[in-house]
Amino acid sequence: MNSAENMEGERILTLSDLVKYPFMPEAADEVRRLDFRIEHLLNPDYEPVLERAEKRIIEALTTNPPEVSYNPHEYSEYVEILSFPAAIVLAAALANDYVKRRYALAEARRAYGFLRTEKEDKIINIAGRFGWRIRALNMQISFTKFDFALNFIDYLKNATLFHEKEWKMVNRLVHGGEVYLSKQDVARLLQEEVRRYIESKINLSVSSKIPEGVLERVEDLKRICSEKIKEAPPEQISSSVIDDAFPPCMRELYSAIKAGRHVSHAGRFALTSFLLNVGMEPEAIIDLFRKSPDFNERIARYQIEHIAGEKGSRTRYTPPKCDTLRTHGLCLGADNLCGRVRHPLTYYLRRAKSFRVGEEERIDEIKEG
Amino acid sequence: MDNLTFIREAFSKFYNENIDRIEVPKSIGSREFGFTMFREGVMVRHKGFINPEDLKEFIKKNVPSNVYYSAAYYSVPEAKMDEKGWLGSDLFFDIDADHIPTKCDKKHDTWTCRGCGFKGRGEAPEKCPSCSGESFDEKTWLCEVCLETARNETIKLVDMLMDDLGFSPKEIKCSFSGHRGYHVQVESEYILNLDSNARKEIVDYVTGTGIDAVFHGLEEIGDGKTVFLAGPSLNDAGWRGRAARGVYEFLLTATDIDLKKLGLKKKVVERILANRDEILASWKVNGPWNMIEGLGLEGWRKIINYGVTFQSAKIDTVVTSDVHRLIRLPGTLHGKTGLLKISFPISRIEDFDPLREALAFKSGEVEVYVDEAPAFRLGDDVFGPFEKQKAVLPLSAVILLLCKNAARVIDQHV
Repeated sequence: MNSAENMEGERILTLSDLVKYPFMPEAADEVRRLDFRIEHLLNPDYEPVLERAEKRIIEALTTNPPEVSYNPHEYSEYVEILSFPAAIVLAAALANDYVKRRYALAEARRAYGFLRTEKEDKIINIAGRFGWRIRALNMQISFTKFDFALNFIDYLKNATLFHEKEWKMVNRLVHGGEVYLSKQDVARLLQEEVRRYIESKINLSVSSKIPEGVLERVEDLKRICSEKIKEAPPEQISSSVIDDAFPPCMRELYSAIKAGRHVSHAGRFALTSFLLNVGMEPEAIIDLFRKSPDFNERIARYQIEHIAGEKGSRTRYTPPKCDTLRTHGLCLGADNLCGRVRHPLTYYLRRAKSFRVGEEERIDEIKEG
Repeated sequence: MDNLTFIREAFSKFYNENIDRIEVPKSIGSREFGFTMFREGVMVRHKGFINPEDLKEFIKKNVPSNVYYSAAYYSVPEAKMDEKGWLGSDLFFDIDADHIPTKCDKKHDTWTCRGCGFKGRGEAPEKCPSCSGESFDEKTWLCEVCLETARNETIKLVDMLMDDLGFSPKEIKCSFSGHRGYHVQVESEYILNLDSNARKEIVDYVTGTGIDAVFHGLEEIGDGKTVFLAGPSLNDAGWRGRAARGVYEFLLTATDIDLKKLGLKKKVVERILANRDEILASWKVNGPWNMIEGLGLEGWRKIINYGVTFQSAKIDTVVTSDVHRLIRLPGTLHGKTGLLKISFPISRIEDFDPLREALAFKSGEVEVYVDEAPAFRLGDDVFGPFEKQKAVLPLSAVILLLCKNAARVIDQHV
């Protein structure tokens, strides 16, 4: 499945394909065949490669949405193919999480641009690189055309990262373990797979192997990109809790607990993690649960401190996102603001902001997941 | 002899004579086991067993009230939760009448207000009608209607697992939970590594959560001048066909009130009801999408999105997305009933009779004083209803009543 050759031994991906998809193993074979190594970057002959590699990263940081360019006339095929692994090395040497994510996304978006109009056999070949179980379908059902059938597990691995309704598996035609998809959809899912793959490549610790001269270029690159590569500051949440800013789901859970009504385990977890994240003290939350029919102080304390990250795994939990609350039947239905957020904390932060007139609060979108 | 001692002795005898009925899970050495004990009332977790004999000995020696094992596989099952080293997890579904509205309305369940002692039947209300208190003690019972409802949901689930998700009957294990529902477990190497988000997508798939008809063939087709609606057909694959079948089922019996609840206009509702037969007949051709004047894409969208609830499988959503879940071990007794959790091949799902095949105690009669219990069937015999009376009953009925705390033993011999 990792081979670029079909049954007859005929090459499916040409050199110009490898320019488009430099993450394919055949591109790496090509790099090996040319006996290219990092230290060669200092050789003046390879200056165009180093230059193109730097440009790949600069493009990722300066375009919006990020996308690495494709200029078959500006660079030779070999410069293009060699500059990809070189750029991975540079991105790793920059040792900045934002650069890593941005660069991987820019390369993946570039690939998406080609994939959406690519021939079926090439798409299947590229998907096979990532172990996808996919086949061409070419089927019309009523007024919808389906080009591919993809194993539902391979679908889920990528689609769960998208939040649009159309990507929910329940909104797809699923039959015999396969999800029926258009070419456009497969290209989009592959973009995600490519993005994660490139990110994982940048994770490798390569910095130690980089020659001194190249490191100087990395320092220059850092200066060029310094504006762009500042880390986003972490979210700050005020310690004074504003009940009126709670989203409907949390308001309901909060009043149910206050009244001593039974609340499911999922509901308790959601509420506790929410309250901790908006700044309520664990002690105050324990008092809140005191009215529950099955209150046991020892257990409640352990669980709340666990969610707060003070016990056990030491991870502080964030409350489930809206999708998950909906799955567990904890969402009461959206109000106006709900329609514009995907996470109960985002709702709270937005609403809380309007209660704090005059105060200068930086409010960031809470990261999904 | 008090109830607990009596039940524990019966469980002990059962395990001594039937320990090989226990279904030892695949890769036993990678599973976490958990037990609840009769006396202590607490869960003993993080147990591990290298071989089946050790597990069996443990159960015979300690006679737990409930036996659980993890759907997950770990490197070190005995370690603390965050040090176990999660290797993967089977895909697990729990269908329990507790989570499903049933035709019996759970009239056999009772609740008592903790505030004022007011009692009632069915599911506990939001607020006590007497004192407005919101906290209750609840007693549940298992009835044939509840079990039948759970079976129907299980059938819908298994259909989706096979037809849509493509699992083979060999990969799907069904069992009666020993109380008010069924368990369905998928053991396949492909699903082991699915994370919680992916499992949640599977939950949303089988429950129809977040579904929208516009992704299942409902659309306006036309050139601007003449526009007509297209929609899913009964025989379509996946949720497309299910959506159509759900609408068919809904419109077969929908009342004026049902339709108005969806927000349809009065005139439209009247036309739907007046044309019910034509609508049902239309499925053989192009479907009913263009038959009702004033009912366009948005109206049909509401009808389809509601029709979906007839086809969805009502599972416990939390259980499936939890990749660390402990589940009852097949071949062990349920502490709330004394019935066995028992597996059966999916081909038997239609005719499997839990109230016959899950009976664990087959011999002996005991005299008990029954406080209160509705009529119930075990095997071919129907018992009760009982109200503050003595009765001599077979051991399986006695254990059920004792486990439900509805009776106490008079005659002490098992």
